Amino acid sequence: MPADGRLAAARALVLVAAAALGCAGSSGSGPPCAPNCLSSANFLSAADVQRVIAQGVGEAQARGAAATIAVVDRVGNVLAVFQMTGAAPNAAIAGGRGVAGGLEGVTAPSTLAAIAKAITGAYLSSWGNAFSSRTAGQIVQENFNPGEAQAPSGPLYGVQFSQLSCSDVNTNAAQGSVGPKRSPLGLSADPGGLPLYKNGAVVGGVGVIADGVYGIDLNVFDVDQDTDELIAVAGSAGFAPPEDIRGERITANGHAFRFVDSESLASNPASAPAFAVLPGALVAVPGYVGAAVGTGVAFGTAASGYRPATTPALAALGAFTLVDSGDAERFPPTAGAGAGALTASEVSRILEEGLKVAQRARAQIRRPLGSAAEVSIVVVDLNGDILGLARTPDAPLFGTDVAAQKARGALLFSLANAAALIAALPAPVAGYVPAFAAFVGAGGSLDGGTAWSTRALGNLHRPMYPDGIGGTPAGPLSRPLASWSPFNVGFQLDLVQAQFLAGVGGSTATGCSGLSVATNGIQIFPGGLPIYRSGVLIGAAGVSGDGVDQDDMVAFLALSNSGLGNAPSAMRADQLSPQGSGLRYVQCPQSPFNGSTEQNVCAGL
Amino acid sequence: MRRAVALAGGTLLLAGLALAQETPPASEDTRLPPESNPGEEVIQRRPGRSEPLQFFPPPVDPRQVPAPSAAQPRETLPVPDRWRIMQGLGYRHPWYDPYNQNVLKGDLPISAGSDWFFNLSAVSDTLLEARRLPTPVPPQTSTRAGSSDVFGQGRQSTVSETLIVSMSLIKGDTTFRPPDLELRLTPAFNVNRSAAEEDRVLFADPAKGRTRDDSQVALQEAFADVHLRNASPRYDFDSLRVGIQPFTSDFRGFVFQDVPFGVRLFGTRDNNRWQYNLAWFRRVEKDTNSGLNDIGKGLRGDDTFVANAYRQDFPAPGFTSQATAMVNRNKEDKGQYYDSNGFLTRPAAVGDERPHAYRVTYLGYNGDGHFGRMNLSVSLYAALGHDDHNPVAGRPQDIRAGFAAAELSRDFSWVRVRLNALLQSGDKDPFDDKATGFDAILENPQFAGADSSFWVRQAVPLIGGGGVALSGRNGVLASLRSSKDEGQSNFVNPGLALVGAGADIDLTPHWRLTGNLSYLQFQNTEVLGVLRNQAPPSRSIGWDASVGAQWRPFMSQNMVLSASAAALLPGEGLKQLYDTSQSGPLYSILANLLLAF
Repeated sequence: MPADGRLAAARALVLVAAAALGCAGSSGSGPPCAPNCLSSANFLSAADVQRVIAQGVGEAQARGAAATIAVVDRVGNVLAVFQMTGAAPNAAIAGGRGVAGGLEGVTAPSTLAAIAKAITGAYLSSWGNAFSSRTAGQIVQENFNPGEAQAPSGPLYGVQFSQLSCSDVNTNAAQGSVGPKRSPLGLSADPGGLPLYKNGAVVGGVGVIADGVYGIDLNVFDVDQDTDELIAVAGSAGFAPPEDIRGERITANGHAFRFVDSESLASNPASAPAFAVLPGALVAVPGYVGAAVGTGVAFGTAASGYRPATTPALAALGAFTLVDSGDAERFPPTAGAGAGALTASEVSRILEEGLKVAQRARAQIRRPLGSAAEVSIVVVDLNGDILGLARTPDAPLFGTDVAAQKARGALLFSLANAAALIAALPAPVAGYVPAFAAFVGAGGSLDGGTAWSTRALGNLHRPMYPDGIGGTPAGPLSRPLASWSPFNVGFQLDLVQAQFLAGVGGSTATGCSGLSVATNGIQIFPGGLPIYRSGVLIGAAGVSGDGVDQDDMVAFLALSNSGLGNAPSAMRADQLSPQGSGLRYVQCPQSPFNGSTEQNVCAGL
Repeated sequence: MRRAVALAGGTLLLAGLALAQETPPASEDTRLPPESNPGEEVIQRRPGRSEPLQFFPPPVDPRQVPAPSAAQPRETLPVPDRWRIMQGLGYRHPWYDPYNQNVLKGDLPISAGSDWFFNLSAVSDTLLEARRLPTPVPPQTSTRAGSSDVFGQGRQSTVSETLIVSMSLIKGDTTFRPPDLELRLTPAFNVNRSAAEEDRVLFADPAKGRTRDDSQVALQEAFADVHLRNASPRYDFDSLRVGIQPFTSDFRGFVFQDVPFGVRLFGTRDNNRWQYNLAWFRRVEKDTNSGLNDIGKGLRGDDTFVANAYRQDFPAPGFTSQATAMVNRNKEDKGQYYDSNGFLTRPAAVGDERPHAYRVTYLGYNGDGHFGRMNLSVSLYAALGHDDHNPVAGRPQDIRAGFAAAELSRDFSWVRVRLNALLQSGDKDPFDDKATGFDAILENPQFAGADSSFWVRQAVPLIGGGGVALSGRNGVLASLRSSKDEGQSNFVNPGLALVGAGADIDLTPHWRLTGNLSYLQFQNTEVLGVLRNQAPPSRSIGWDASVGAQWRPFMSQNMVLSASAAALLPGEGLKQLYDTSQSGPLYSILANLLLAF
């Protein structure tokens, strides 16, 4: 024993001494693709697309599965959809919770499901983070993590109803190669959608459906052998993201994201069959792709619809903007309609200040540690029309549409005629107005008396109130928990459900809701704030792309720093305590800025 | 004789003299051994192998008091047993007097002629605590309008009253040799109230408010201790103790100090110069808010096997060395465990949150004692093992961690001056296949000011980094556990380096003042960076300054009133994690009244 003790002591000393010599890890270096992140060589060639499909099919064959595989570029152009012989033509939407209503039980073509999954992989990812449709499933459920009782809902609760086939922000195939393209089923929560990378830069996504169920993983604590996902993993071989930026290494509130569960392939992608002999065929999907293999666009070029802004003030900040197929800026700073509306320079100032905040902000979802947040910023006027859109270069693409949805969500509920607008819609949407007023009490009459942020709306649009707490009633905008699922959430979906279903049938007509102020629908997670001038509503701002607290902060400080200021404190929704629990208006993150010890930077503004 | 006793006021001395007044005839006592003849050699044999003691008794001096002899029957009071001699003499004390012979204190058998003793002790522990910690606002509600950031108002307070009643039944002699059997039961009764300024601090449900009342009836000891045998004429022994029992792994409680259920074989050798323990323990679930055993929740899937040995006067007289090997096997890899306030505790709400199991072998050397006038206490541990799925790493990891601590002190008359140093290895790369951050099983360190220190006393939550704290309550290790009491060990942590100095000043027999100043820093903050998704902060935690006072009005441990105040002056690293400046200083104030019977 004494001899053992001495040995242990010696070992311990060595270990402790070694530990004492260690130093804090490095940070602040650029993403893995640096300095060639915007290289025009970063695109998917037709050969790349064929390779992805062939690798996927090889894995499907090894598993005895018949898959539908879609490949898209980063901005959502569908480059090919391949359907194996015997693949199920349709997939059933199923949240797995045994509930009915909403989209539950709706049958969707497998081709659309595969496209939605591919777009999800591409849109959620960036140079600094690789997320998948599994990640999406993890962050849209009633708790985060799903299965952790008493934990608030997923940070991107509601994001599945973005990039809709009817969005006015996202484009359809008729508008050429410019993105961001619409997704026929919104963003997918069903594992099997992965991003594709070249040279460390995200260049697209692959989506697979073989199991006939367009669902969601409800148990994130086990390790699934998901056929769709394994086929996608095989497909992405050679195009996998750098390990350091995969979701598993990125945390929100200390919770690591899921990227893929299992990578135990049954095939060797390196010896995948030749594309020409694959069992199955390329299929045409009207409105999305022909029966051919296309070539992706390089992100950042005019052809992608995303390029550096040319407006001097925004260009000086390195901002990116959206352009149409003629390379004309789609959303340059513009004055709003009507008297007292936002001026073009005010819009520009909001965008500029937002960009400046983002550039200082600590990213929540990016690596390496110490990276700056990357976001899309949208300003809308009282009509919901977009007065300006600017973004940092690498903001995840989903945030383009979502930023507008957030602005419009905050706008819609803050309007003086909000109750009338919603009540005029057909059932069940109209019924939310009295339910909302009854639940919220004073301040809940949707008459313009309350400034509603999307965070506050989100508090009331969850199946538990307070958010995530078991045994509590649902918020007035949500389905009750007993009938709730991510495919049956309540107001947000009900508002767009008719057009969503039309999209499932192939429609790519623009306009998702019966409300002109919410053409692409609304969003119900933080980052959307109404804008006031002297207590009078004049528009709204929406920010999306990083952690939700970062999104909130960029929007909140952008308004404060622009000189317009935020909603009068007395009007903000956090003055209200429905059912005895106070709402949150905004929440700025801990340790908000890189290289700074500033904290609580939104206090008092 | 009675009169003499009464007049003497119960002093033994006078009673003895009174007895000696009568000189009965020596012939009546036939059972006494024959008187040795003056001048004849006496041989006394002592236990052990030493040479018999041989001496010549001194000659009888007739002027001395005569030798004792049996009392005359008429003049003798009947005494039931030798413990009750004093009672027979009329010395009677009330039942609540623990200072004199008391049947409740095991001073005499339960009944006459029995060799069963009963020992009752009761301790009332009253605690008042006020603190300010970095505190988050609830993420889904507003405690008050206008909260636009993560950090809220951080003042918290706790009032806690614990009554610990210990009851022992002891069979044996109690005085001259180890008892044959001890049965002990120690229930504890706690009521506590806590208050905070933000919702969702005390309960996971933010609607449950900012005050919490709780109570707990706990079983802190319930064991049978069987004296197996005497291993030498010096009463070296082997004993087996089965049940819920206290155990401390080392002199300062660095790795395992708990009241687990277990089976422990222990004893001594070589005239108590060697002591050993061979034990298996299974931890008992704890009550969240009192920290006491919660039998109703059963036992944990967490076993510890211990083999240790202490050697007195090694390597030098006055210094005790201990070598220890402990294996901690945790199998809590099924499902989830929530604490009684509704927060996920196992697995910790951090990383991928997948349940996991681990086994760790602790190899340690501990020493305590003095070299000349220098007092030294040292502790060295290596932790070697395997975590089948570290939730931060998201993969299995081998555990390779180390710990070292030392306290050097010296007494200058009524002042003791202490120097402390502690190193806990930290993890450099959370994503590799090695976990190199040290963690204990259940620490309760008596070190660097212990609970008077802010860092040791308070659990600072890693706000925005998951449901873990930088260090546990009453813990020194920066181990990022969900709960020291209820959570699992975590070996992917930032580690700690502590250097400090302190003094204990015994002003009077009533008053003691203490002071401590420690500087703390992390070993490696990469894991903090990962969990907060921020650039790894500076290693500097800051300065922990504390003062305390202790008042013992009766110069005994039966009533002890103590109070302490500590502040943590944040370093750069803490500033990069929390709002350490805007909401006021981080402090910890305790007042504690101990009443013991």
